[in-house]
Amino acid sequence: MAVLTMNYRPVYLLVVITIVSLLVGCDEGDKLSLSERSVIYCSEGSPETFNPQLSTSGTTTDAISKQLYNSLIVYKGKDNTLGPSLAKDWHVTRDGKMITFYLRQDVQFHQTGYFSPTRLFNADDVLFSFNRILDKEHSFHQVSGGQYPFFQSIKFSQLVNKVEKINDFTVRFVLKRNDSSFLANLATDYAAILSAEYGEKLLDAHTQHEIDIFPIGTGPFKLKDYRVGSLIRFYRHDFYWQEKAKIEQLVFDISPSKTSRLTKLLAKECDVSSYPIAHEKIAERNDLELRSITSLNVGYFGFNTKKAPFDNKLVRQAISLAINKQALIDTVYRSQAARARSILPETSWAYDPNTPELGYDPVRAKSLLEVAGYAQGFTMDIWAMPLQRAYNPNAITMAKLIQADLKKIGVKVKIVSYEWSTFLRRLSLGEHQSFLLGWNADNPEPDNFFTPMLSCSASEKGNNRTFWCNKKFDLLLQKALKTTNMNKRKVYYSQAMEIINEEMPLLPIAHSKRFQARGINVEGDILSTFGGISFYQVSKKDLSSNPSPLDKPKHSKKVSK
Amino acid sequence: MAREKIYLEEVFPSPFMQLWGIFRKTPVAMVGFCCFIFLILLAIFAPIIAPYSPVDGNLQMILLPPAWHVDGNVSYLLGTDELGRDMLSRLMYGTSLTFGLSFIVVIFSLVIGVVIGSLSALTHGIKSSFLNHFLDVVLSIPSLLLAIIIVAILGPGISNTVWAIAIVFIPQFIHITRYAVKEEFRKDYVLASRLDGASNFRILYYSVFPNIVERLMSQATLAQSAAILDIATLGFLGLGAQIPLPEWGAILANGLERFYIAPWTVYLPGLAILFAVVATNLVGEGIRHALKLRKES
Amino acid sequence: MLTFTLRRISLFIFTMLVLTLLSFSLSFLFPGDTVINHSGQTNATAAELVELKASYQMDKNIVKQYGAYLGHILNGDFGQSMASQSPINNEIIELLPATIELSLVALLIAMLVGIPLGFIAAINHNKASDNAILSFAMIGYSIPVFWLGLLAILVFSITLGWLPSAGQISLLFEIEFVTGIQFIDILLSDSPYKWQAFSNASAHIILPACVIALAPATIFIRLSRAAMIEVLAASYIRAARAKGLTFQQIIFRHAIRNALIKIIRHVGLQFANLVTIAMVTEVIFSWPGIGRWLIESIFQRDYTAIQSGLLVLSCFIFIIHILTDFIYAALNPLARGNKHGA
Repeated sequence: MAVLTMNYRPVYLLVVITIVSLLVGCDEGDKLSLSERSVIYCSEGSPETFNPQLSTSGTTTDAISKQLYNSLIVYKGKDNTLGPSLAKDWHVTRDGKMITFYLRQDVQFHQTGYFSPTRLFNADDVLFSFNRILDKEHSFHQVSGGQYPFFQSIKFSQLVNKVEKINDFTVRFVLKRNDSSFLANLATDYAAILSAEYGEKLLDAHTQHEIDIFPIGTGPFKLKDYRVGSLIRFYRHDFYWQEKAKIEQLVFDISPSKTSRLTKLLAKECDVSSYPIAHEKIAERNDLELRSITSLNVGYFGFNTKKAPFDNKLVRQAISLAINKQALIDTVYRSQAARARSILPETSWAYDPNTPELGYDPVRAKSLLEVAGYAQGFTMDIWAMPLQRAYNPNAITMAKLIQADLKKIGVKVKIVSYEWSTFLRRLSLGEHQSFLLGWNADNPEPDNFFTPMLSCSASEKGNNRTFWCNKKFDLLLQKALKTTNMNKRKVYYSQAMEIINEEMPLLPIAHSKRFQARGINVEGDILSTFGGISFYQVSKKDLSSNPSPLDKPKHSKKVSK
Repeated sequence: MAREKIYLEEVFPSPFMQLWGIFRKTPVAMVGFCCFIFLILLAIFAPIIAPYSPVDGNLQMILLPPAWHVDGNVSYLLGTDELGRDMLSRLMYGTSLTFGLSFIVVIFSLVIGVVIGSLSALTHGIKSSFLNHFLDVVLSIPSLLLAIIIVAILGPGISNTVWAIAIVFIPQFIHITRYAVKEEFRKDYVLASRLDGASNFRILYYSVFPNIVERLMSQATLAQSAAILDIATLGFLGLGAQIPLPEWGAILANGLERFYIAPWTVYLPGLAILFAVVATNLVGEGIRHALKLRKES
Repeated sequence: MLTFTLRRISLFIFTMLVLTLLSFSLSFLFPGDTVINHSGQTNATAAELVELKASYQMDKNIVKQYGAYLGHILNGDFGQSMASQSPINNEIIELLPATIELSLVALLIAMLVGIPLGFIAAINHNKASDNAILSFAMIGYSIPVFWLGLLAILVFSITLGWLPSAGQISLLFEIEFVTGIQFIDILLSDSPYKWQAFSNASAHIILPACVIALAPATIFIRLSRAAMIEVLAASYIRAARAKGLTFQQIIFRHAIRNALIKIIRHVGLQFANLVTIAMVTEVIFSWPGIGRWLIESIFQRDYTAIQSGLLVLSCFIFIIHILTDFIYAALNPLARGNKHGA
């Protein structure tokens, strides 16, 4: 019978061993180097795809674009001028209809477990990438649904006549008309260059869909592993055409919950966190720092203009008038944002300070509702996006505040929210009545605020979830694109803004800064003004061997990671 | 009829009163009982006592810490949340949601369970055996899991949660009633009234129920503490009470986002739940303790 | 033992049938088209839908439909998740082991802490230590698990910085998926960081496992206390005492063994409870298990995932239930009789 008590001893022993090994494990030197060579980024959501051409969601762009791919040209420096990337130079003819790119000759694609390139990057890859979008007969056009939201919203296929290969390292775009935003659009993250050779290989194997799941690009990192809803693991691309990245491993820890992102940051389980909450808490810790960037964005409250009662302009105006924007900014953005007068932020060159703004006037709102025939009020739903973006750090709270505001004019509100990808899918089906969303600019072109968000083409296929389509408005946008005269363009855009303010397909709420929190041992810029984040410049220094005098003694314990 | 009078003239206190006598002498149980009564009163009168509205906030007073804190404000005793809503008022209203609803749910399940249980106790044979097996299977599934399943079917929401938990608790009351009634039916005093020609229902009502009521109460307190935790857990997971209802679990989940800058929005609802569950369990323990003592005496 | 085994097996088959029937009927209860609920193919074309309808025999009577559904399940085809559009059995195979791992460790902790404490309380019946243990049990039983989890993170991860707060292991370690049980996978892997990964994984499991273990541990305290009190009052203990055995001898040779048998009976039931607590805890500790996945599926109205997740989870709980019944029966011949273990 004593045997039975004996039986427990090994178990206790095992527990003791585990605990001891755990304590010892933290001290080993190798471990530090592993963490030193890698960065863990707590991101807010899963990417929908691994091909930037297919999505305009900021989460997807952040995760994949600048990590895996390059475009032909990029924005450089503080003044956002266009600079070379995969194209080392380019030339535009005087009529603006022919653009020739001269390509780099030393660019290698990723070598991964699923593909080994045999040749360098050349004109075929550029043709492959753009023809996939342009040519409906292209063998990859229909793969993954055949929707290219960004390119469809800017009517790329109506603009580009053809893409020609002049020689192996020269490519020419022939346009049907002059378009002043063309180069800016090619410099976005969406105009990524894919590998034609990889495409052929997949075509032979009849596994075309893998091109958007197992990506091959030219970017500084390559994909190692992706587990939906949990992590993305990147390895460094050792043969990157520029100097290779400083870190060897980049892990995206997908943590949709804001609190869990902050917890992981505080517990040192991630090095960098997207969209941090509780800025005060981060500020008071001296092993963490908060970075921000003024990005071109707008957070808005949109109405589904195809659904009653929001097919009525008066109702849209009334609801807009009843919302106290300043209170939203003070509470939701904690005053870290500028009130939006229109959809264009003040930092854009086309911004017109004289744009009229629909103010806060619940009394007029009530009377407008009466005129519209809703004196008794009605019940509506607000779709609040489930995750945090710079343009809207907390849509649910914002929805609650709007709920309270609208109650005062007799409108009852139901708040609806789904997981991000479901949310977007249902939104594109038009199941909503109104929604809280926003837009992050991909380039400094003002058109980037209008066409992808509110044009008719975007309402059919694209990101215009208000389904609002105004011919006059579209005409103004087209006029603005056809001319290169800045003053004229500015006039067209301010007229467009007037139409928005009159028609109210959406209520612009705020232009905000984008925040990021990180440990002080992480160096290098991650945020960029346009498009996705980039970890190319990031490096990590070892804090434990060189303790910073700033460290509070209380927190100088071994890093528990 | 005449005989009945003789029973009534017995000087012995009823079993229930005997129990109360013992219960009263256990100080811990009495503390729990007072807290329990306090919570019931709060649940009923929350709308009258609460100083502020639980839903409408004062945007000038966002994330105010509790009054004992340096930055606190006495007019918001327990501080405010991110929309400037008074925590005290929200917790008070929350009492009627989390605690009050769990109380109602338990009473509801108790009544249904007792009816079905006592009816089934009178049946025999295959029907009874089937019920036995069915109850065994259902009772082996944890109440929270079952509630989650039902909420998954009905969809999230406070009313669905209440229904789910009510349904989940019925089987245990059926089980205990059935068991207790069957046991009592084997006793001699039942045989006595049966010989008197009393019908089954009469026996149930006049003879059996008074003898099993405290066992049911003890089970009810167990169920209630589980119900509070279940309602709060579902609220916390976002499957129960929806925004902006001040259900304790939902308040806690809501405060989670500001856990590090406004910890009171998480501590307070958690403490409220703990308080309510401990109070309920103390009452339950008291009853069980008293039952045991009565049996021994 | 043979009749006992047969009885259990028939009960098992019967319960599985009931569970699949329940899961089958969920497709009708959920809003939307039954075939789409079965298969999760929300984006199916008209042609694909016809094919699906044929494969689920939707035009036949309900019994045939159920048969077809059962066939799909037996082939390991749970349909695909409406949200992610990936096959559900893949997701479950990835997630279930993590939940099993966490629950088993928690069960171990609960038993290792709860049972000895219960015995101590019973041996010191009605003394101060008994009361202290009972009060602890009462509090532990009353704490809402999600709150406890948050407090544990705040204290041990953030303030003290001792233990990590989220996940199974630091994401820096690449562990190949073999069994899904992290510890086994680490030992099987040929990573140069094997032992660091192992200690890292142990550090990750401690906090969630302890949080889960608290409530079951308090129940084990009560159970073992009651069992021990009963055993100590039994005649064979009196006989042992009369024989002149010391108190220690009585406790270690006779009492513990007999009390343990009584407790084992309840392990199955407690395991079900523990798995439910684990579901909530997984949400708080971002544990990549089936509970968190199931709760997310409920949010996303991913009916196919809910349906299959519930089926798998309840089967798992029930299998453990049956297993403990067997262990109990193996240890205690009296239980093999006609009486039902539950």
